[in-house]
Amino acid sequence: MAYAGPVLLKRIPDDPAQRKLYRYADYIATGGYASLKKVLAMLPEDVIKLVVDSGLRGRGGAGFPCGTKWTFLPKDLFPRYLAVNFDESEPGTFKDRYLIDHDPHILLEGIAIAAFANKISTSYIYIRGEYHHEAKLLEAALAEAYEHGIFGQKHPGTDIVSHCYVHRGAGAYICGEETGLLESLEGKRGWPRIKPPFPAVAGAFAKPTIINNVETLACLPAIVEHGAAWFKTMGTPSSSGPKLFGVSGHVNKPGVFEEELGIKMSTLIEKYAGGVKGGKYRAAIPGGVSMGVLGTDQYDAELDFDIGRKYNVLGLGTAGVIVMNDKTDLVVMLRNIVRFFAHESCGQCTPCREGTAWMHKILNRIVDGFGQPQDFDVLAELCLTMGAMPGTTICGLADGANWAVKTFLQKFPEDFKSRLKSRQVQGVAVTGAVVA
Amino acid sequence: MAWIVEDRLKAYQPARNEPYLTARIKQEVSEKYFPRYPNKRAALLPLFHLIMHEYGYIAAQAIDEAAEFLELTPSQVQDAVTFYEEFRLEKTGRYVVNVCRSISCELCGHQRVLEKMREIFGIEPGETTADDKITLLEVECLGACEQAPCALVNEDLHGQIKPAEFCSQLQQLPAAPGHSTTDDVR
Repeated sequence: MAYAGPVLLKRIPDDPAQRKLYRYADYIATGGYASLKKVLAMLPEDVIKLVVDSGLRGRGGAGFPCGTKWTFLPKDLFPRYLAVNFDESEPGTFKDRYLIDHDPHILLEGIAIAAFANKISTSYIYIRGEYHHEAKLLEAALAEAYEHGIFGQKHPGTDIVSHCYVHRGAGAYICGEETGLLESLEGKRGWPRIKPPFPAVAGAFAKPTIINNVETLACLPAIVEHGAAWFKTMGTPSSSGPKLFGVSGHVNKPGVFEEELGIKMSTLIEKYAGGVKGGKYRAAIPGGVSMGVLGTDQYDAELDFDIGRKYNVLGLGTAGVIVMNDKTDLVVMLRNIVRFFAHESCGQCTPCREGTAWMHKILNRIVDGFGQPQDFDVLAELCLTMGAMPGTTICGLADGANWAVKTFLQKFPEDFKSRLKSRQVQGVAVTGAVVA
Repeated sequence: MAWIVEDRLKAYQPARNEPYLTARIKQEVSEKYFPRYPNKRAALLPLFHLIMHEYGYIAAQAIDEAAEFLELTPSQVQDAVTFYEEFRLEKTGRYVVNVCRSISCELCGHQRVLEKMREIFGIEPGETTADDKITLLEVECLGACEQAPCALVNEDLHGQIKPAEFCSQLQQLPAAPGHSTTDDVR
């Protein structure tokens, strides 16, 4: 554990007044593209090995080892594509936007490194439609990069010309799912694909494709510069490196903060985000709403990729921490989360389309005071039936919904049960829900 | 909701002689976007972004024209376009105010923004003011949770909204009819 200051945010000072956009010249002046230069003198296999050795895990939510993902590409199958996932639609997640707002070239350098290592011909930055400003920033940065030969050139030793383009989404959460993203890239509705074939074998335009998150790629220049061993000095054995944490909700100073993985949530909230606002800590979502909720006694949870196993949540997700104080109505908040999933379900799989809509309906009636005694159990049962993990849906959207509901019910049962008890339905006294 | 197919009858507009896909749009797509992808279909999203930017909504005729241009069937285009929330099939007011309603914004009082909008402009989410100036929409997370409550006015993000101030900013915007394409919001 040795974290010595920001790696990803090194060009973005804490003081908002001093922040500025780093253009190509500013980026070069602060050591930018030096790693790319170093990489171009290496063998592609050595770059992949370096990334494998660094233990860099995907920052987009699943935490899949980045280097391992690269090794899945079939040999001698070209062209290959890289899709950069900048969809970032998970509520509570805004880290990538913050990074690109100030330092777009760090991503482009990461893309150039990944493209060289994997002999990629075209990289597409899939950016969500709502990020109008960031799409313009990236277009401008790409124009500079092309001008200076970062893209539009052959990878050394090959005939493959490396290109990079921005592709804008148009307002669909599901396009952040990797195969949904590919469908959307191809100009179709963003319906996730049944796997296999996995994208590494047949992805965009049925060609081998790698999909990496913005932050994952932004880690690459630093790994090349300082080496895999240095990267591993940060974080925990299973979760190496620095991480961007976005803190929002009931805190005094919401924002994006960089720390090593494994930092305690309480430290993050108190040291960086200015403490809980308007009351005491009650609950928090560790990484985007699909990850579930941390209870009142889990304030000190370590934020790393093992969080799921240790604290009964789905995982670290995107590390977008949403803090709720003790005056928050958690039933209303769960309704908000479930409405999100019901709204964003792509409709392809029945358990997800119907399940999320029914959970929303049930939570609506609980909030309105019409909760029925069995509602607690019905919600809990619905959770077990939908998602890729019970094996009833294609993608993980429903898993997100069911983990959110499941953990709220498990960690804050009284919030729900008291609503069910307090209501008399048609003159019959309700005695309380039967709880599993 | 992405999986509910839009009401095609409601979106019907009489055909017009002047094409929606102007020569300029076609040229931009041909020169800028076609070379980026291995096939023409992949330029569908960029093309409709241009159409949205130009007209503020997508006319049924534009879908047919796009299908011909991209060498697809109209149903293929319809299928993709209706999936995406940003592609609207109906006309809106000049300024579309997308208020975020996801969890961080709800925690930080997005409801107060909506209440103020109701009080000042007399519109609920989904409605447009009588002078066709402002359309109010509630949307899911805009990815600016640290600035909650936030809203997207056309293409510009407004963060840390103070409801009264925000509404008076909107009132001061020029009310000229027609769709606003540029950054004249700020």
